Amino acid sequence: MRNEPTLGSALEPEQLAAATMRPYPRRTLGKGAMSLLIILRVYVAIAIPIVVYAFVHALLTPQ
Amino acid sequence: MSENLLDLGVPTFPSRPEESFTHEDVLRAHERLKVLKARAAKSSLRLLWLLAGPGVLVMLGENDGPSMVSYATTGAKYGIGFFVPFILLTFLMAYVVQEMTIRLGVATHRGHSELIFQRFGPFWGYFAMADLVFGNVLTLVTEFIAIQAGGLYFGLPAWLSVAIGAALVFGSMAFRRYMTWERALLGIAAFNLLFVPAALLAHPDGAALGHALAAWGPIPGGFNRVFLTLVLANIGATVTPWMIFFQQSAVVDKGMTKADVPQGRMETGIGAILAAVAAIATLAACAPLFAAHVDVSKFASGADFASALRPLLGTTGATLFALGILEAGLVAAMTISVSSSYSLAETVSARHSLNLNFTTGRLFYGTAILSTLLAAGIVLIPGAPLLAMTLTVNVIATLLMAPALLFLLLLANDREIMGDLANGRLANLAGGTIIIAIAAVGTLYGVITAFPSLLG
Repeated sequence: MRNEPTLGSALEPEQLAAATMRPYPRRTLGKGAMSLLIILRVYVAIAIPIVVYAFVHALLTPQ
Repeated sequence: MSENLLDLGVPTFPSRPEESFTHEDVLRAHERLKVLKARAAKSSLRLLWLLAGPGVLVMLGENDGPSMVSYATTGAKYGIGFFVPFILLTFLMAYVVQEMTIRLGVATHRGHSELIFQRFGPFWGYFAMADLVFGNVLTLVTEFIAIQAGGLYFGLPAWLSVAIGAALVFGSMAFRRYMTWERALLGIAAFNLLFVPAALLAHPDGAALGHALAAWGPIPGGFNRVFLTLVLANIGATVTPWMIFFQQSAVVDKGMTKADVPQGRMETGIGAILAAVAAIATLAACAPLFAAHVDVSKFASGADFASALRPLLGTTGATLFALGILEAGLVAAMTISVSSSYSLAETVSARHSLNLNFTTGRLFYGTAILSTLLAAGIVLIPGAPLLAMTLTVNVIATLLMAPALLFLLLLANDREIMGDLANGRLANLAGGTIIIAIAAVGTLYGVITAFPSLLG
């Protein structure tokens, strides 16, 4: 019974709600990662309007 | 992890007096105590049972309304063939992606949105959050379409099934305790397996199943636009952005730690297997429609599949199918609305946990309630193009997956926060391949949706 866990020891210190509200510092993104993020953002920015156009077009086209 | 936190300048707690616990901490600590005792007693099965939840829920939650309609359409259009092993492959892909969220959650004790926001800054953080909430609200609409469709099969008016569905989503949050919420949802999610007895009533051909698994065929009609659309729809039915955000936040809310990673992986694997079985069962249950040459292209929802299956599977089989569609929409509505709550609250640094009471968690619960009301309201608009909306939402979810996966890979490789849980070469190879594949099929999906005549 010596090592019986208790409520107070059940959570790791960094699991406490107060600890998780403290933000991590920001990291610097490399050029490669930044480029990929921008490329995929452009990809979404182009693709979503196409899909919305297709949706509206399908609605307005008589069957 | 405390070493990493010190390296990053994040203060750690020198002691942990119970008096400093918040209400949220106390509830979490009670559950963790059970886990620690099970581990100390070397009770493997009890440990797995206590730690099961996020992985099983995310996998069965993704077997949602539109996903089951995709599998049903696949079965009705192609029967038992290429898509049986293909569905297994998509769930393997889902496992690879979701496993990273377990490691991220236990290493950082942060949700996915807040990690993106903190590590990459507000510009990318708001983009990621906006993508998720946008996709989630749209997907939530399709879940209520499924709930409405299941209700219609049983003769319930649309407003009543939607109202019951919304009330159950709100009711699930009334527990104000993560563990109770999780166990209640696991209980409901088990009904996803209703598709298995429905499939057995279709008397699937074991030899055909074996041949499909071994030969990845047949593909009746060959490679054409319908085939490609269903390939893309089946991928979209298995891997979507909300799953990443939900599982990481749920792992944190459940209080899982580094020691729980093996059980986390195991329960995610079990969830993937269960979901794959239900998906293949849905396909097999609808295979008789393929054999009977039933044209499903005019079907508006899962309810039409259930009605069409009645003469082939009998009333019991059709009823099981309709109940399965209802369950699929309901569980997904519950998990997706909570996924939006976690994400929005994490982004604006508000408290975010299913252990919060309503006063402390106003924004958290408010987000889920508002998004649910919005989705339920849209479904009830007279003459709303529900089937077109379902298909379009699948496309949008697939398109949003590639940037979400890139954020996931960047975070999983961030050794400052991940320590020894960071991705290895194999995980990066698998993750990178999945990003390229998803981006490629997303592009194809977008192109063939915008220009349907391209493939003839």
